[in-house]
Parts: sequence; structure tokens; C-alpha cells
Amino acid sequence: MLRLGVQTKNIVSDENPEEGFALMKRVGFSCADFSLNAYLSNREIYQGEVNRFFDRSLSELEFFFAPHRRGAEAAGIEINQMHMPYPIYVPGAGPERNEYLWNVVAPKSMELCAFFRCPYIVVHGFKMTHFLGSEEKEWEQTEKFLRFLAPTAKELGITICIENLYDNVGGHLVEGPCCQARKAAERIDRLNERYHAEIFGFCFDTGHANLVGIDFENFMATLGSRLKVLHIHDNDGTSDQHQIPFTFTRTRENRSSTDWEGFARGLERACFDGVLSFETAPVLTAFPEVMRAEVLSFLAKIGNYFSA
Amino acid sequence: MDMVCGLSGMVSVRNPVQGISDISEAGFESVLLDIGMCCSPWEIEALGRRRSESKAENPLEISSYPEEMLRRADPIRNQCVKRHISMPAAYAPYLKRDSQRGDLNDLLFLLAKESLRIGKKAGCKDLIVRPWFAGIAKEDLWHCNKEYYLRLAAFAKESGIRILLVNLCRDLNGHLVRGIVSEGEEAALWVDRLNEEVGEERFGFCMDAGACNLCGQNMQEFVLALGKRLKAVILRDCDGHKETSMLPFICSDSGQAYTDWLDLIRGLRKIGFDESLILDFSDTARAFSPLLRPQFIRFAKAVAEYFKWQVEMESFLKKYPGRVLFGAGNMCRNYMKCYGEAYPPLFTCDNNQALWGQEFCGLEVKPPESLKDLPEDCAVFICNVYYREIEAQLRDMGIRNPIEFFNDEYLPAYHFEPLKGDR
Repeated sequence: MLRLGVQTKNIVSDENPEEGFALMKRVGFSCADFSLNAYLSNREIYQGEVNRFFDRSLSELEFFFAPHRRGAEAAGIEINQMHMPYPIYVPGAGPERNEYLWNVVAPKSMELCAFFRCPYIVVHGFKMTHFLGSEEKEWEQTEKFLRFLAPTAKELGITICIENLYDNVGGHLVEGPCCQARKAAERIDRLNERYHAEIFGFCFDTGHANLVGIDFENFMATLGSRLKVLHIHDNDGTSDQHQIPFTFTRTRENRSSTDWEGFARGLERACFDGVLSFETAPVLTAFPEVMRAEVLSFLAKIGNYFSA
Repeated sequence: MDMVCGLSGMVSVRNPVQGISDISEAGFESVLLDIGMCCSPWEIEALGRRRSESKAENPLEISSYPEEMLRRADPIRNQCVKRHISMPAAYAPYLKRDSQRGDLNDLLFLLAKESLRIGKKAGCKDLIVRPWFAGIAKEDLWHCNKEYYLRLAAFAKESGIRILLVNLCRDLNGHLVRGIVSEGEEAALWVDRLNEEVGEERFGFCMDAGACNLCGQNMQEFVLALGKRLKAVILRDCDGHKETSMLPFICSDSGQAYTDWLDLIRGLRKIGFDESLILDFSDTARAFSPLLRPQFIRFAKAVAEYFKWQVEMESFLKKYPGRVLFGAGNMCRNYMKCYGEAYPPLFTCDNNQALWGQEFCGLEVKPPESLKDLPEDCAVFICNVYYREIEAQLRDMGIRNPIEFFNDEYLPAYHFEPLKGDR
């Protein structure tokens, strides 16, 4: 049986983190995806309203997150993956914001990942094809960032996972960074060889893949052992809704319009032995708060179905 | 580059005179011979299940008598010949996207074989043939299709026609996702393997931009993966979710297109695409009254020409031994950033007297009068959206040099600030 995880956003509060972790455990999860990105949202970053959360020294940040770590430990929850705030580069934002993200937010995220004894951190590649003219040139910039983080990752024993993303053309969500499995695999291998360590891996995001019609099974099989972590969630193929798997249908027969069978086959073909982790924070705000435990429990049951 | 007009939505199989005439009058010199119009996916799907509802009107179903298809296609072919319209490519009949009828694959072979006969008679150089998918397990797709295409290859050789594979979406309970040969690298591999088997370039690829758009694909990457194997591109627009064949640039929101034309144009430029550009706007055409269709098809022709012009932009720049720019603003700056090194202008000029004698992006800004001293093979590239007004001004001044329009709507790159790590 694969272990089950869920993101901490909308479950674990700063005021009483232990309560949220205990709830996770109670409903059937044993792992958590720590939503560090919730402390500096992408909206704030894009809008140039970067809060000063990461201005704190590392020891101050560790002090801040000590109750979270204790809470997870007390509940028996392992923080198996973390999401770094994103984006780390905003085209046209100017050097002040971008250098802060690159030189302050990213390194501190790595240290916090280690603080939580978390083995994987998920980062977003830069969305720059439009500006730079090609996916190759876009990747060059992402790779510069990854190489900047590599020595720290190696020292801290963390694997940095790149994730398949989408981009936006006139409101139509289209293929973004890391949507080509073969290229991603080659790049991960090349970087890992360079650093003589498995410091890079992949995070497969089912929702993002569904938005751009990616063949789940082929994609995951191509990644194979490079597939380290998952973001499991569903959408209608139109917008990034982060909903419960099997939610969306499009025909009278009402069969799922997301390829969950392909996902299950992909897990098998990739010999995935990690955590089935749900990235479904919006579900928890959509349902009434009194149903939170039931909703989480239902997610865990879906995880068990995938795991079986 | 051939600008090829699709027939569907404008031309009737039985009475093609008016439709072909409208297309010809609009200035199109080539059409796609869509043989699927003689034997539709719905007709094929219904084979053996029920008689066509339109039996009275259409007593002979091609799906039952494939050998009759040649005769069915004749009126269109004859009309095109009469109008001196070429048919560089044809499209063989195909199954509905969501068909489960694996029992029809042999029929599809017969229809493709007949399509080769029709294509030969029509002088086609390419026949677009969709891969088989119905009733075939995922792991057997290549093997089954290899057999299918190789069987067709012998007939294709006899007809002197190249077979083009085409990317397909897969219907996943109503959600169109990436299907067979819908990844550029996979498509290139299939074409190479097939050509290797037959020992000649009998196979190529037709990229359906509409199918790519439905799957949000990076079309530049798709084109680059195929490179010279790409022999045709079907241009059709949709909202990215529902499959339609709209005129390019029609589907938009708040002034922005839903389709990533930028990456498609970038890709086609990079491979120096010079094959068939097939315009399929059947749904838009059908929506217009037949009374408006002649004007509409003329507009579609203008869209095709614009697209061709964008793809060939760089060839205009390299065509002339010398060039100067007109305009000392953003478009001039964009020219210099993207092309200034490869195709350096002698100088730029501008109507704004205050700029004369100054330097802009490394170019001296001169008055328009200075264009009178240019060598005759030096072209003037207008870098200002008031193209026609400036062109008229220059002609009125007696400038006889070639005048071209530069355009920065689809540039190879837009980011001109140094990135971290570049410094």
C-alpha cells in the first residue's frame, strides 16, 4: 500500500498546527505536503506586493515553524514534500523583487525543508517561452536557478522536484514548463550526473496535465524512477480547480473526463513507491467547515482506491 | 508556400459550381480535396447498423461501395480543373473521433486506397490519412498502423503520392486529449520508421493546429520536432475546448487569441516552412449566409496571405542586399533587437524633424528625403503601423525602391532585459 498525503494549506493553522496534523492522521493520512507557498502567495509575487515573511532570519523562521514540526511529529505525520513559493522569477518585475525571490526566498525555503526533515521540495520552472522565444531558452533560465540551489540541496539531502505547469494564452490554459516527459527525464539525469547525487526529480501534477491533455500513463512511464512526488487533483479541463478526483464529467454517460485509469497505470509503470499526495486545498474552502473531516476522509478513501 | 483552401462548409459535392467559383474569385489557386465530403464520418459510423436517414437523397452509400467514390468526387475535381485550381493535397475519409468501431479498419483501408486513385487523377502530391485507432489497444497502435500504412505505401508509390500522417485528439469521455501521433517527437519517429521501411520518402506529416490547440500544446516544439517531415499545416481556430474549424484569429477574449499563433509562427519560421498551408474555416463559413460568402472567402484569403507573410518574414529581410528602416520608435527598436545583427540596416528615417541627426538603437535617424539617394536594390522597411500612409508618402516623393512592411506582432523573442546569471 502506498502512503497517503495531503497539502497543509487550509488544514494546518499557525495558531494550533497540531490540531490540523492530528485531523490528517485521524482521517487516514500519514504524510503532508507542507504548503510553504501559502506564506508568500503567487498573487502577491506577481502583483509586486511581496510580504516580508521571509525577511526573518533562519533561526526566527525555524522558531516560527517549530510548533508545526512538533505538531506533525506528535500526530505521527511525516512532512514528505514541500512546495517552495512561486514564481521565483517574474519577467519585467525588476531586479529588487527577482533577486529577493532568488537569493532570499529560495535558499530559506531549502533550509526550512531541511528543518522539517522533508526529503522533497517542489519548485516551479520559469514561464518565459513568450519572452525568450523557445522552450529551450526558457529551460536555460530554470536550469540556472536549479544549479544555484543544487549545492544546498546536496548538502541538505533534499531532492528538488520540477513540476509540469501550464501557461496562459488569452485565458486558454496551455502547455507550460516541464510538460515534455522525455526532455524532463534527460535534464534531470544530466543534472544529477553533474552533481553525482539524486538532487533532482519530478513532481507530476495530474490537474495541470489534464488541462493540456497530456497522456498520464505515457508521461509517468517515461519519467520512471525520476517521479518522486505527486500533486493529485482534478479539474474540468478548462481551469485549474484543484478539486476531488473523479469529480468532472462531460457526457451523458457521466464517466470521468480525467484519465484516472491512465494515472493508475502510470503509477504502476513508473514503479512509483512514494506518497499519493493530494493538492486539493480549494476543496476545503468550498465545502462547509463542519464537513472538513468528512471531506478529508473521502479524499483519503480515494487515495486508498488508487493505492489498492 | 501553397495557400490551400478547405472546401468543407462552402462547396457542395453534388453541385460544386458556385462554391468553387467563390473560392476561385477570392483568389485561392489551390484547394484541399476533402474526400471525406463524399463519405462522411457519420456515414461510415452507421455502416451495417442502419440505412442513412438521407437515403432518398443519397441512394448510394460510398461506405458500401468504396469504388464509387471516384465518381462521387468527380464534379468537384472537374470544377477545379475548369477553374484552373490545383489540388496539391487530399484528405482521405476517416472515422468519428469517438468511434469504437474497430471492425471498420479494413473499410478505411479501402477508402484510403480509393482516395489515392482520386488523388492521382486530381494531380495531388499528398494524401492525408488518419491513423487507425478504433478497437486497437494502446500498446498495439504502432504495430497496427505500421501495417496499415505500409500496405497503402505500395499504392501510394504507384500513384506518385506521398502519404501524410496527421495528429489526432483522443476522446476521453468528452474531453479531447492527446491521441495518436499527437506528440511531435513520436510523430517524427513514426514518419522516419515508415520511410525507412519503404526505402524512400513516401511519408510525411500534416500538423493539425486545431488538434494541437485543443490539447494546449506548444506548437513551436511540435513543429521543431518534425522539421522537414512537416509537409502540410492545417490552420483552424477553436476556443481550446470544443472542436471547431474557425477562421484563424476569430476565437479570442478581450482582444487576445485563444490559440498560440505566436509559437506556431515561430516554429514554422525556424524550419523555413515552405509547403502547404491549409486553411480550414468550415464552421465559420457555414455560419455566414451564402450571400456573404464571396466577401467572407476573400477575407479568409487575406488571412492566409497574412499568415504566409508572417511565416516568411525573415525571407523578406534577407531578400535584399541592403535595407533601411522607416520609423524610429518601438518597432524600429524591436527590429534592431531581433534582426539588427543578422540584417543590419544602413540607417533609419523618420518624419519627426526633432529626431534627425540623432542616434536610435545604433542607427542614425535621417529625414525621409535621404531615401532618394539609395541604391536601387536597397529596400525600405516601414517600421510603423501607418504602413499604407507612409508607403503613399514615399511613392509621392518619387521613391522607386522596393518598399516592405516590417511587423513586430510575432517576434522571435520579447525579453530584452538581462536576466539573472546573464550579467
